[in-house]
Formats: sequence, structure tokens, C-alpha cells
Amino acid sequence: MLSDSNHPILSDEIHDKDFLSTIENSLAIGSWELDVITNTLKWSSFTKKIHEVTKDYIPDVEHAINFYKEGIHREKITKLFNDALENEKKFDDEFIIVTAKGNEKWIRTIGHPRCVNGKCTAVRGVFLDITAKTIENKKTILKEKQFRSLFNYSLTGMALLSLEGNWLKVNHGICKILGYTEKEFLESNFIKQTHLEDKDLGIEELNLMLSGTLDNHQIEKRYIHKNGSSIHCVLSLTIVRDTNGDPKHFIANINDVSEIKKGQNKITDLLKVTSKQNDRLINFAHIVSHNLRSHGGNLEMLLKLKKEEYPESIADEYFPLIEKAVGNLNETIQNLNDVALYHSLDNNKLESLNLLHYTTNALSNIKGITLANNAEIKIIIDQETTVKAIPAYLDSIIINFLTNAVKYKRLDVDPKITLEAVKKQKHVTLTIRDNGQGIDLNKHGDKLFGMYNVFHKHKDSRGLGLFIAKNQIEAIGGKVNVESIVGEGTKFIIQFNHD
Amino acid sequence: MTDPIDLICIIDDDPIYAFAVQKLFKMNNFSNNCVIFKNGQEALEGLSNLFNEQDTLPDLILLDINMPIMDGWQFLEAYKSTSLYNKIPIFITSSSVDTLDVNKAETNSLVKGYVNKPLNLDSLTLIKSKCL
Repeated sequence: MLSDSNHPILSDEIHDKDFLSTIENSLAIGSWELDVITNTLKWSSFTKKIHEVTKDYIPDVEHAINFYKEGIHREKITKLFNDALENEKKFDDEFIIVTAKGNEKWIRTIGHPRCVNGKCTAVRGVFLDITAKTIENKKTILKEKQFRSLFNYSLTGMALLSLEGNWLKVNHGICKILGYTEKEFLESNFIKQTHLEDKDLGIEELNLMLSGTLDNHQIEKRYIHKNGSSIHCVLSLTIVRDTNGDPKHFIANINDVSEIKKGQNKITDLLKVTSKQNDRLINFAHIVSHNLRSHGGNLEMLLKLKKEEYPESIADEYFPLIEKAVGNLNETIQNLNDVALYHSLDNNKLESLNLLHYTTNALSNIKGITLANNAEIKIIIDQETTVKAIPAYLDSIIINFLTNAVKYKRLDVDPKITLEAVKKQKHVTLTIRDNGQGIDLNKHGDKLFGMYNVFHKHKDSRGLGLFIAKNQIEAIGGKVNVESIVGEGTKFIIQFNHD
Repeated sequence: MTDPIDLICIIDDDPIYAFAVQKLFKMNNFSNNCVIFKNGQEALEGLSNLFNEQDTLPDLILLDINMPIMDGWQFLEAYKSTSLYNKIPIFITSSSVDTLDVNKAETNSLVKGYVNKPLNLDSLTLIKSKCL
């Protein structure tokens, strides 16, 4: 603008002040002039406006310099100004000033010394408010910097691609994922790193992006590592268009998902194995329930009949042993049945059952042992409480916990058992609390609900009761927890679903 | 036990069971005669013949579930559309304790009851009480 100090645009010869001030206002540009000889500084009205001083403000050099923000800004203008005075140097730079009202503004100051006979007589210049533009610029620079560091240091593969698929810019992440150096990438084309079988993947979307109907798309495809192995990746491709909407290049974001893929395959394989095993278990349960049981039943029946028809056969010393063996066999089959026969039940196969009704029913079923043990049983269950279950399971669950509570009483203390149901939003919790022997959960906790685990000496312990009860509870969608203190008692907390 | 049942039809493919159950009936004076079919198909044909020739029909059918050729469920399905329908009380006798089987039997209107094998005095009493 002020390229030649011998032809300054600002001079006393310009008479059309109105014109000048219009220009000043529309360009947001102010002017200033220092008469070195008289040491008088003049500011145009717009310069005053930028400094936010009144129209009658009379500037001087010292005050003018003090408008520049303390520190590098003020130091720089001082140096530049002195350089202009002493060495006839022009200056043009950007600074922060603090206005009379205390606002910070970005301004551009241009100064031109005017010399007569090698001596500086005046310095003149212009003054521009560039706050808005500068803040915008700084923001852009910051954004660019943020983006650049994201691009450079991201573990995700990022790249800029030409419309023909040539790599224009690649980051460290993609070099690491695919094993090529930046240089090797830049000499190569996208297709070269794509797995042969996946070459046509996403072509349709690519064309849609080029034709302007799609901005970005995501696809899972395989790439080829420099060492020849294939890498499962998720590619996210975005097209960048210029202001006319013409496509310029692509931004590719490439994520290595091969580990996730491996994990997924492993899970799928495991699922296959598990469901095969489950099928086998169902077959097993079927064989136990139908075949094994009928053979055992036949043996039992034949022995009974023989005993009745030929009472003398008991005298045979083998007979009672065979009878015992058959008895044991049938008991084991019964256990197998109990264990193998839990189908996970459909929720809609469950019925809403009255908990109090089932509890009192269970109690009357085990009246024999409760009476024999002088057990005191307290029931705190609301009449209306229902749980989702199937009748046979609910019966068996309640009976199981109740008989346990009686069976494992302390030798010197009569059993006191409390059954209490609390209804919550989605569940009914049934707590069965006893004052029995208790169980060392630290020692046996993990085995408590296991199969064939017996923790107390008792003639009827098979080690199946809790195992079966837990399975039944889980089959109807419930949960069971236990708390216990040795020598004080045990608390089982059963959670059922209700409607 | 009260008067014996005249004729019981056993549909079961297990000869040992059939032998034992006949003994059991006799020893407990539960029935005098048994007619035995080895599967649903044989039973269907045999019973239809008895009906067509106006022979004596069994007073009771004890039906096994698992059998070759035609199993218990298939027999019930076919039996429905014969002229024997609702003429003879049917009990399912099975060693299965699978609740699915038990429920299926209990919801079938043709079935009077589900009796677990091996049969014993209790089950015989139960059958008789439901029959009369």
C-alpha cells in the first residue's frame, strides 16, 4: 500500500477530508502523523475511534506508545519506531493495543519515515483494526494445529487420497497398521494395499460420492500388510469438495479391527461348541430319562416280583446285594434325571403362582420332619404375592430350602425358621432364615450350590438339594444368594420374578 | 383290591416290562387278562379289529410314549379319528420324568392320567380310582 515513501497517500495536499474519512471508515483504517521537529502527533478521527478516545483527545508519542500492550508488543513498537526515526526504516506489523476503555484489540500499524537531507522530519502511517480477522485467523491456526496433531499422532490410520486413489498424505498410524513407510505409500495407490477379494467393496458408494450424492460411508474390508498378511479394517471415507461442490480429494480413516475380528471368531466358535455340547446334554438327559430309567425300573420290578413269588430267594446271599445294587442304581438315575432335566424355560411358559399358598403347602408336606425336630416356622408373606414359576419347581424349591433349614439345625437348639417375602418393582425376594449350624462360606462358598457336595454329616445328605434348587431357580429366571455365620445360622435370599 | 379288571391293553415295546407288569397285575388281582401291542401301529390295527369283529374291548389302555414305528403321541393323534374314540380310558405309562412329557400328557384330553414306571401297588390303586 505504502510502497514508496516519496509518495505518501496521506499528505497535507489532500483537501478532500470528507472523501478521506469515508475511505477511512469503510476500510476501518485510521491515519497518524508525527512531526518530529515540533514533536506533535496527530491522529485521524478513525485512529481515535480505534483507541476509543474522545474526538478532542490530543495524543503524544509517549502516551501513544503506552497504548500498546505491555511486554512484547510495546517493546516491538518502540524498537520499530526508533528504527524509523534513526535509520529511516519503514515498518508494518501487527500488535495488541489496550484501548482507553480497557479493551484489547489487534491492530496493524504501518509507519513511513519522511527524511529531508538525511534527517527524519516526520513519520506517517496508517492504523488498522484487524481484531475480528486476527481472532478468526488464530482460531483457524489453532484448529489446523489440532487437526494436524490429531492426524500425525493418532493411532488410527488417517490419509488423504486423490480422487484416483493415490495416497497424498498418510499418518503414522496407517504406516504402523499396514507396515509401509510414508514414502512407500506416497508412491503407491489405494488399490495396491487392498485385499484382492475386497477390491470391489464400496465401489458403488465411491461413485455416489464422486457424483455428489453421498458425503461419506463406512465399510469393513481387508487390506494387505507389507508382509503379505491381511488386516481387517474399518474404513471411513469422506469426500472433500471445494466451494463449487467439485470433489477435491478423500479423507480416509482406517481402523485395524483384526483383534476384534479374532475375538468375534473365537466367540462364534465357542458358541458352536457350546451349542453342540448342549445338544449332547439334551440327548444325554433324554437317554437318562427314558432309557436308563426304564431299565432300572424293570430290574426293580423283577426283583420285587421274584421276592413275592419266590420268597425263598431272599435266602440266597446274592439276592439282598443285588437288591441293594439296583436300589443304588435307581437312586443315581434319579439324581441324573434331576440334574439333567433343566430346560431353560420360556417366560411365557411360567405361571403366576401364589407364594403364600405354595409355602404353606410345602410346609404341610414336610410336617413329619418339622414336628420331629420341634421346628418353629414363621411365615411373613403377603396373601397377594405371586411369583413367576412352574408349580413343580416352586414346590421343590421351597421344600428344599425348608428341609435343609431343619436338617442342618444345631444339635442343642430347636430350629427357628423365618420365611419372609418382600415385593419390589420387578422382583419378589423370599428370604429363608434359620438358626442352624451355619456354613463356612469362605471355605465352601464356591461349592455350596455344586453337585454332590456335602458339608455336614447327615444321614440323608445327597449333596444334590441346593444344586437342584439353584438350577430350578435359574430356570425360572430367578437368582439365589446366601449369607451365613457358622454356629449362628444361614440366610438364603431367593429372587423371583413377578408380573 | 376290588374286582379285577377284565382286560387291559398294554402298548409297550419292552418285553421285560410287559412280562413284569402282567405278573404284577396277577399277583395283586388287578386284572385277569392282558393284550399286548409292541407299538402304536400294532395297537391301532389290533384294537380296530377287535372293534370291527365286535369282540370284547379292553377296559383300560396303558400307553408307553417311546416306541418304534408309532410312538405314544402319534398313537393318540391317530386314535382320535377312529371309532374307538372316547371308548377306552387311556393312561400314559412312561419312565420319563421330563416335565415336558408330563405336561403334554396332562393337557391331552384323551389321557386320563400319567403314571410313572415302574408300576407299583400305589400306581395300580391310582389307575383304578381314576377309571371308575
